[in-house]
Amino acid sequence: MSDVAAQNNTEQEPEIDLSIADAVIDKYIDIPGNLMPVLQGVQDEYGYIPRVVADHVAERLNVYPSQIYGVLTFYAQFHLKPRGRFIIRVCVGTACHVQGAPRIVESFFDKLHIGHAETTPDLRFTFEKVACLGACGMAPLAMVNDSTYGGMTVQKVEEIVADYSQRPMK
Amino acid sequence: MVNLTIDDKQVTAPKNATIYDAAKMNGISIPILCHDKKLKPFGACRMCLVEVEQMKGRQIPACTTPATEGMIIRTATPDIIKARKMVLELLLLNHPLDCPVCDKSGDCDLQNLTYEYKVNSNRFTDEKFNHEIDYNNPLIERDMNRCVLCGKCARICDEIVSFGALTFIDRGIETKIGCEFEDGLNCEFCGSCISVCPVGSLLARPFKHKARFWAMTKHKSVCGYCATGCNLTLGVKDNKVLTTIYDEDQGFHKGQLCVRGRFGYQFINSAKRLTKPLVRKNGVLTESTWDEALEVVAVRLKGGTAVGALATPRLTNEELSLFKQLLVEKVGTSNFDHSAGYAHAALTKGLVSSFGTAASSATILDIQKSDFLLVLKSDTYETHPVVGFEINMAVKNKDVKLTIISDKRGKLSKLPDAKTTVHRPGSELHLINAIAKALIDENLIDESARTISGFAELTAALSGLTAEAVTEYTGVSSSEIKKIASEYATASKALIIFPVGQAYTGHTAALASALANLSILTGKNGKEGAGVLCLSEKNNSQGAVDAGFYSQGNGLDALQILDGCTSGSIKTLFIAGENPLVSYPNRTKVKAALDAVEFLVVSELFMTDTAAMADVVLPVCSFAEKEGTFTSSDRRVQYIKPAIRKIGQCKTDYEVFSLLLSKLGGTAPVTAAAQFDVLASKTPGYEKLSFAVLRKDGAYAPVSIKPVLVVTKAEKPIAAEPGNLLLVTGSALYHSGTLSQYGEGPMHVCPEGYIEFSRTDAASLKIVENDLVTVTSESGSLQLKVKVSLRIPVGVVFAPYHFAASSINTIWNGAPVTKVSVTK
Repeated sequence: MSDVAAQNNTEQEPEIDLSIADAVIDKYIDIPGNLMPVLQGVQDEYGYIPRVVADHVAERLNVYPSQIYGVLTFYAQFHLKPRGRFIIRVCVGTACHVQGAPRIVESFFDKLHIGHAETTPDLRFTFEKVACLGACGMAPLAMVNDSTYGGMTVQKVEEIVADYSQRPMK
Repeated sequence: MVNLTIDDKQVTAPKNATIYDAAKMNGISIPILCHDKKLKPFGACRMCLVEVEQMKGRQIPACTTPATEGMIIRTATPDIIKARKMVLELLLLNHPLDCPVCDKSGDCDLQNLTYEYKVNSNRFTDEKFNHEIDYNNPLIERDMNRCVLCGKCARICDEIVSFGALTFIDRGIETKIGCEFEDGLNCEFCGSCISVCPVGSLLARPFKHKARFWAMTKHKSVCGYCATGCNLTLGVKDNKVLTTIYDEDQGFHKGQLCVRGRFGYQFINSAKRLTKPLVRKNGVLTESTWDEALEVVAVRLKGGTAVGALATPRLTNEELSLFKQLLVEKVGTSNFDHSAGYAHAALTKGLVSSFGTAASSATILDIQKSDFLLVLKSDTYETHPVVGFEINMAVKNKDVKLTIISDKRGKLSKLPDAKTTVHRPGSELHLINAIAKALIDENLIDESARTISGFAELTAALSGLTAEAVTEYTGVSSSEIKKIASEYATASKALIIFPVGQAYTGHTAALASALANLSILTGKNGKEGAGVLCLSEKNNSQGAVDAGFYSQGNGLDALQILDGCTSGSIKTLFIAGENPLVSYPNRTKVKAALDAVEFLVVSELFMTDTAAMADVVLPVCSFAEKEGTFTSSDRRVQYIKPAIRKIGQCKTDYEVFSLLLSKLGGTAPVTAAAQFDVLASKTPGYEKLSFAVLRKDGAYAPVSIKPVLVVTKAEKPIAAEPGNLLLVTGSALYHSGTLSQYGEGPMHVCPEGYIEFSRTDAASLKIVENDLVTVTSESGSLQLKVKVSLRIPVGVVFAPYHFAASSINTIWNGAPVTKVSVTK
């Protein structure tokens, strides 16, 4: 965990409202095998799974906290740190790599001052390298949330960061 | 049974056996790393690969594949050997070869297999892991660099211990074993994970770098803490007990231990042990000789009924019976008792009147054979953790139903489908009587009950005690009471379990009888997996009762003896191993009694608060230094022999009593074996036992019961007033009596007394974990550390009683429930 993210965690967690998690848990409480839907549900609500929520789920579902952590770290879909409003994904698959993806990645690092799988302190951006986005014809490729940007250049990186820095957080 | 061929040998195996089991039963060994017979098959390590002809020569894991009729199996073909070698090469790829400094060396499955399969080179290369080693706790070291991911630790923690501290974290090559959010280990420290770890990933820190495995001699013994009667193997070197060694075939519990058994042995070789007799001269305890000390004691013992004695039920059967012989025959007194008297009343008064014998009608082995467990207080888990493991396994593996009646929740409440009925403190008896009433009203009783003596009287006495009527006292709804009654009655095998002991003053003779009534009314006794199991506190509590070392009407009981000291009727008090100043109720009163008595002699391992007040202190031996027998709660008599030579000038209590006996003109049997024969001839159930019979595995002393229904009267429980909380006392998981204060393990994990609050009460008192609060009751006040937990109901606080430094008896005078006020 990077220092920035760690700070974020400690600053964020006291404010967490467990009644939101309770609402999700209540929906699934009587269903056998409810751990995955509950964890997915609470992640949808909070954007990530804070520790207090994981512990609360463990308590309510009578599952060992360790077991929940095992599940959370096994699946790539779960996030233990707060995520940014805008998730930037840059493809580093073969086609994109050949077309210069490493330089795209580098310039995002430079612009955002964060590394792979990290989040900016203002919670605006999360940056991730991904193996393949399945649109090799558009290489090198980047995505911001659900929008796709093909034929990426260093120039375009600047434009994208500038654009999304203006957009509202909500 | 199925017939199959393993390595050209015709063998048979039970229907549910795996190939591995079938081979093992027939003397064919298949190597394993991740398999443990106590755990469910897992199939992770691929060491046990075998070839099955019917499966076209494919290599399949023997530990997960069921043996079926006609299978033709080969366990050691060249291909198999090659595959196993490769498994080892791959494991050794990441495993650091730091065997010279690893404490597991010599007892390491991976090392042994590497040796067996002659893996002296590796075709592969890779980086070693660089995980941080978990040194966060003083007992268990976790070095994930050595881990082979067999998962045994995580599985035993779930399947048997039910704590779930460890799990697989992450995925693929990065997978490791760890705790939630990469925390350090923070569990109940039973060390089960250490015992099953096939490599040096999990190690006992107190044993780190103390001795090589092969340099120790291994001595079988019996644990000296609680009355479960777990068997131990002590690792000894240079006359020091250095560790406990896991033996998966030992005892009913298959080598499972709790934190006390595994990590509480350090008191044996503690530097604080007394090594020389002490005699008070000019007000100061001064080192002396045995001759002088015993002479002084012998003179004072010639006092007839002005002599009183208290002995700890940690002494052996032989010592207790010899002590009794000394007191009755040569001193001429019947004023002797153990464990504050009331702590064994459930047995000696309650079960005696209900069953005609001071013993439980079921054994610990019945737990897993039962259909329904009714457990009084979830503390069973804390007082007798290994019995707790049995309950876990019964519920998880055998679908045994579990209902808990308690004044607070506990670990057992978390078991799958466990039902916990939380009642107001001190209202147990009302609740149990209401269940009895419901059994009769709903006609759930066994027909045989109507002919049992006392049936009419009980029915009449229970007439007003309907479930609705007691709700006021118990806080439990009538439907819940009726449900427990019907579930208990309709289960074909139902077992009642309850703990007794010095901290459980509410578990009285009346309560034991009330519980026995339930079993008698429904005809549950005398069947496998059914009956009543009373878990007594100390390792030989049942033995002390069997040996008759308690007041049987013709002498004073423990609390009366102390009153006698105060009033002057008792002039000489011999305390063998008890520490009444800390463990008996009402410290001020005990202190006054010990101050008042003319002559106090204490035989002890340590300079306890009580010993410090004595006129003569005799240094005696721990269980590891003596020969004798202990009787567990379920009347299993087990033999122990010395694992080490006596420390310093210590003598066993047996020697002390024999010397005193001869000084008073009597003779004691020379050996403990002869003393046991004397005891066995006088004790019902022991007739066929002798050291020769007991030496190997011990034996059960059979119990025969004559059921009688006994009327018990419940008193109105104390209700809290505004501003008051109700204090209930009990055991903390890590401790047993006051002896565990000298075990490094338990003291590392739970070093001091505490008081446990519900979240609601903590919030309204504005206190948080680790705050210091002053707890005041009628008898005094005491500073205690705060613990906040989910398991305590609102209005109730819980405090354990073990600690001399924060002696709970300053605020507790022995009442089951004490009204206290708390200030910050």
